[in-house]
Amino acid sequence: MQKIKFAILLALAVIPFMGQAQLPSVKVENRKGEVVNTASLVDGETPMIISFWAVTCKPCIRELDAINDAMPDWLDEASFRVVAISTDDSRFSAQARAWVEGHGWGDFTVLFDKNQEFMRAMNVSYTPQVFVVDKSGKVVYSHTGYTPGSEQELIDVIKSLK
Amino acid sequence: MKRLTILTLFTLLAAVVCAAENGEEKQKKGRLTGSFETNSIYYVEDGRTTAVVPEDRFGSNNYLKLDYYHGRFAAGVQAEGYLPVLQGYPTNLTKAGLSNFYASWVDKSFSVTAGTFYDQFGSGLLFRSYEDRTLGMNSALLGARVTYNYKDILALKAIWGMPRLGMEFSNTQARGADLSFAISSLAGWKQTVLAVEGSVLNRYEAISADLKEEGGLPSSTGFSGRVNFESNGFILRAEYIDAGERHYPNGAYDGVNDPRIDLIKNGNAQLIELGYSGHGLGVNITARRLEYMDMPIVYRNTSTANALNYIPALTAQYSYLLTNLNPYIVQPSTILGSHCGPGEIGGQIDIYYNVARRTKLGGKRGMKLGLNYSTYYSLLKDRSAKADNILWQSINFTLEKQFTRKFKLNFLYSFQEYNDSHGVSPYTWKSNIFVADMLYKWTPTISTRLELQYLYSKHDNKDWMAALAEVNFAPHWSIFASDMYNHGKTKIHYYNAGVSYTKSRTRIQLSYGRNRAGVVCSGGVCRNIPAYTGANLMITTSF
Repeated sequence: MQKIKFAILLALAVIPFMGQAQLPSVKVENRKGEVVNTASLVDGETPMIISFWAVTCKPCIRELDAINDAMPDWLDEASFRVVAISTDDSRFSAQARAWVEGHGWGDFTVLFDKNQEFMRAMNVSYTPQVFVVDKSGKVVYSHTGYTPGSEQELIDVIKSLK
Repeated sequence: MKRLTILTLFTLLAAVVCAAENGEEKQKKGRLTGSFETNSIYYVEDGRTTAVVPEDRFGSNNYLKLDYYHGRFAAGVQAEGYLPVLQGYPTNLTKAGLSNFYASWVDKSFSVTAGTFYDQFGSGLLFRSYEDRTLGMNSALLGARVTYNYKDILALKAIWGMPRLGMEFSNTQARGADLSFAISSLAGWKQTVLAVEGSVLNRYEAISADLKEEGGLPSSTGFSGRVNFESNGFILRAEYIDAGERHYPNGAYDGVNDPRIDLIKNGNAQLIELGYSGHGLGVNITARRLEYMDMPIVYRNTSTANALNYIPALTAQYSYLLTNLNPYIVQPSTILGSHCGPGEIGGQIDIYYNVARRTKLGGKRGMKLGLNYSTYYSLLKDRSAKADNILWQSINFTLEKQFTRKFKLNFLYSFQEYNDSHGVSPYTWKSNIFVADMLYKWTPTISTRLELQYLYSKHDNKDWMAALAEVNFAPHWSIFASDMYNHGKTKIHYYNAGVSYTKSRTRIQLSYGRNRAGVVCSGGVCRNIPAYTGANLMITTSF
């Protein structure tokens, strides 16, 4: 009975929310090791795709590669930025830095969330998780997991933004 | 207690609903966000393996996390329910209740957190409190943290708290401070980053009178010093840790020749990272030496979550079935019977290269190449860098190429050498693994992925083969089936099949399969899991 009550409570608790969140203010590191506040990513001019990834997460890599391949065409249709948040802890953060170069992700803003503080603030419990954030910092779309082809939704959402 | 838990959850739920109902006023009143995750398994008997079936055949790990933000103020809770805990997870994760709770204020130059929090100093070798649900790990501190920044030159952090172990907060106290001084910011350098950093951590545990008599130490203090340098794509990071003294049970104790019940050892570690990124080339070299670096939350507790620091295995991390049969398990010290191994020494090198498009080798769509080599040895004796027995060696080569718009190939070759005795003896198991991972897109949204894997070995269970097929209907559905077959010795098939559905931030996966006993690793920290066969339901959502 205890189990059932607990399960019902947990299930009920998640139903009321489908709200649109604002980008939280959390400290992460850039490729040089300098501290960057995530709130400063909002520039008031262009929307952005924020993708949480890790070198150990194969679907994350597949999704970012797909975005990277499509980016030249997408940029013809709309203006946007891609922010790739490495959730690798200290074990892989150095590897992740080398990985970014070896994967040709030079057009991405890559940030490192070594103790997963930004990941927790965005309530990401499963990677890959990708967000579209409008120019004012409001989260307008989010998707968890990756199936090849689902990246098309990202550009569709960006194009629909005013 | 049960009623209290239920009542607390109801109160929480009411607060959640009230906050959510306020719709347009949400911006004024702040916002609520959260996530929910459930991982449940129904276990069945399986005569082919040593599958473990609990009494009620059921296990379920559940997590509900809620955070409230209002300007610079934030507060949150996490409720966890183990109904009961899944097989192989730490057994001190029991029942249901509020496990974590915090309130914080983040200003421009300072922040204050009270309640539970996660943090780390440097790479985490001296101190790290973190959550990893794959491992059943949550070492959040219950206490307080204060941070202060002076421009981008100085960052200071002070912590105090009692680390969580299982569903309780231990009586151990961790108190420490961390300072980072960016010389380059002070000097106004634009192209170069140079920072010196340092940490101190005191760990105090009111140990029993018996343990004290045996030679146990209630208090120990550790230090770390670090240098970070980055210029024009070159990176150098170095860290030295003196983790202070700690005690270990003396395996050679016989009361006569060796009268010491406990051994007092000094923990220390050295870590150096060198890297270069530029022109499509990424190189990373890491070297590390560990000596008695175990930092238990509570002495004489064997839980895999009993760690106040973070000592990951610095090797390639694999995600294919056959590459993870015998992952490397880091050896901060190895005390087995009368064998007393002080730790390990080794390193790894990673090279990634992006072969540009429209070159002879890259072709129309380019190609990505990767090479990793890692090797580790046990330390011969205390206060020495001399290597003893080999613990691990691996060479990995990866190739990734998009041949046509529809077809992509990932190829992996991995040679792994693994010491099953963790350095007590020099004997190793060697294996050669080949993986072809192919993706074919039938339409922009329908695709098939096929993994073919083969492991060749003369040791342990000898040869294995495995295959995985996945059909994806983007953006919602994915169906998969896999089989891992040990044709070298046991002749057992480890099959798995399932389906997943994703909509926005919600993902549901249902699968059924047979799983082998082994080691599950996350971030290089591992736990043993027993063999099991059963149905698995996973739901994750956030809002």
